[in-house]
Amino acid sequence: MMDSEPSSSGPAYALREVTFRYATRFHDTSEPVLKDLTCSIDSGKILGILGPNGSGKSTLLKLLARVLRPRDGTIELFGNPLSLLSQADIARRVALVPQETLQIFPFTIAEMVLMGRFPHHRGWGGWHWEDADDWQIAHLAMEDLDVAHLGPGLVTDVSGGERQRAVIARALTQQPQVLLLDEPTAFLDLHHQLDIARILRRLNRERGLTVILVSHDLNLASQYCDRLMLVHHGHIVEGGSPRDVLRPDLLESVYGCQVLVDRHPQSGLPRVSLPV
Amino acid sequence: MAKVPTLTISPSSKESGKVVHSPPARPLPVSSLPTLTIRRWFLWVGVSFLLAVGALLACLGFGTESIAFSRIWSILGGTILGTESIRVETDSTAVILLQIRLPRVLLAFFVGGSLAMVGVALQALLRNPLADPFIIGISSGAALGAAIALLFGVGLSVWSVSALPVCAFAGALLALLIMYRISSAGHGFSIYTLLLAGVVLNAIFSAFIMFLTSVADPNRAFGMYAWLMGSLTGPDFSTLGVLALYLGIGLIVLATQAQSLNLLTLGEETARSLGVEVERVKKLVFVAAALLTGAVVSFSGIIGFVGLIVPHAVRLVLSADHRLLLPVAGFVGGMFLMLADTVARTVLSPGEFPVGVVTALVGGPVFLYLLTNRNMRVGL
Repeated sequence: MMDSEPSSSGPAYALREVTFRYATRFHDTSEPVLKDLTCSIDSGKILGILGPNGSGKSTLLKLLARVLRPRDGTIELFGNPLSLLSQADIARRVALVPQETLQIFPFTIAEMVLMGRFPHHRGWGGWHWEDADDWQIAHLAMEDLDVAHLGPGLVTDVSGGERQRAVIARALTQQPQVLLLDEPTAFLDLHHQLDIARILRRLNRERGLTVILVSHDLNLASQYCDRLMLVHHGHIVEGGSPRDVLRPDLLESVYGCQVLVDRHPQSGLPRVSLPV
Repeated sequence: MAKVPTLTISPSSKESGKVVHSPPARPLPVSSLPTLTIRRWFLWVGVSFLLAVGALLACLGFGTESIAFSRIWSILGGTILGTESIRVETDSTAVILLQIRLPRVLLAFFVGGSLAMVGVALQALLRNPLADPFIIGISSGAALGAAIALLFGVGLSVWSVSALPVCAFAGALLALLIMYRISSAGHGFSIYTLLLAGVVLNAIFSAFIMFLTSVADPNRAFGMYAWLMGSLTGPDFSTLGVLALYLGIGLIVLATQAQSLNLLTLGEETARSLGVEVERVKKLVFVAAALLTGAVVSFSGIIGFVGLIVPHAVRLVLSADHRLLLPVAGFVGGMFLMLADTVARTVLSPGEFPVGVVTALVGGPVFLYLLTNRNMRVGL
């Protein structure tokens, strides 16, 4: 149980020798996706997890939300072992925005966003009626993400970008302390990419929300993340500020191709581009 | 082994780990969000209940001998309230109504309602809008279990509990676990693969059933065939009572999981990240769905498509929210099968044909339409 407030200092997450491999039906000797991962993740910061395809980024995010459980090692959330918490305890602290948000059944956007209130209610199988407070929270989140006007629309009818923003609104409706996002800007146009990045930074600065995001967009990560973590073959290759991590030698060894790194004209932060 | 970097930085000045969620900026009109409210719930559940009662009374009137509404009213009212004494021995209309038609119509209601609710639950669990206990082979599994019980004399009762529904339950559970295993194997699994798997599973179970009937005594085999085609004939009130007991347990379990089913439609991982104890919910829904299917099949054979078209219609008209969808689909499914059975026993009156003919003739085209519908193809 985690009904007490989390300790006011210390990291959001502490991982110790975390190993994970996907179970296959007949043998259990497949290469682990994550190997002996040890790190701590500060609260109140924006952390970007970078790495090539198949490096274990998404898996790490799922472990942090306990959508998956590690084979070995421990993960602590604000000092509490994740393995001892109930799924609802975790969902009240941690929200996950998954990569795939496909919806098959005709729920309205408002209904889908309100599902974020589920972990805050107790009862048989979570049976409850949303009250005015729940609606208020959901509505504010929808306004933040610019989807309030879509409330009565069906999730099956809106565009991928609109659905993505609605899913982020649902995650905020959980009122989490930690927000995990898997490729949050993958399906968005430039305008909405910028919107999402700014919203995440505002939530982080104004409310102290810890944001952990997986991204392939090195430049967006450079501009908006306080800390970056570069993952390769299930190991953390480097962790630190954008200047520490986005080094040409490091990126070339991990991604296996030549990259150019210069400064962003406005922020002075590293800017990564591919050679001609 | 690579050195293990840590990401710890000096503690921020801000109190970390505590997120300030700003208080509501201004009051929000409660009616402004288009979601389910208690009022809407009672309204629609009430409306569908009244429609079901109306359909029940109408179905009681139709038959080889049609009975006027006022007559139905006086006989039913008199029997329930005991105000009017009816000499059942001499009043043939009362005999037909109370001992033949009423149990049959009630059986149709129970069976139809249960099949619709199982359809709703399976569709959410498998994330597949075309799932139906008949189409994906769950009914066949139950039928195989029941056939084994019938033909090999397992059909004896143990402590006055008939082994028939228990065997059907076991068969349904087996089929359900196979289907689930198939649908969760591998990523990017499409709804069409599940349908193909259902076809094959149906074929395998049917092969076993045909084998059993061919080695069985011909008299028993004939009864088996009639039962397999789906039949609502000849229940009495004690049979109905037993069925209602099984269905009641299954329905209560399903109803308690309505909200979890809503979240399961988002996918298992997302449901888990929203606080659903996915494994527990899945077990409960599996057992409840198998119990309902097993009970229904052991009492009325295989009746298809009710679990497919009714949930679709209710979602289209009302809501995809399982708190509303489950009970309303139950009433509408009951209503649908009562009407289908009335058609089956009146069109060729005094003869009749299996009710499965009617449900397949209505449900088959609907299924084909859904299969080719543009909206269903997106991303699936």
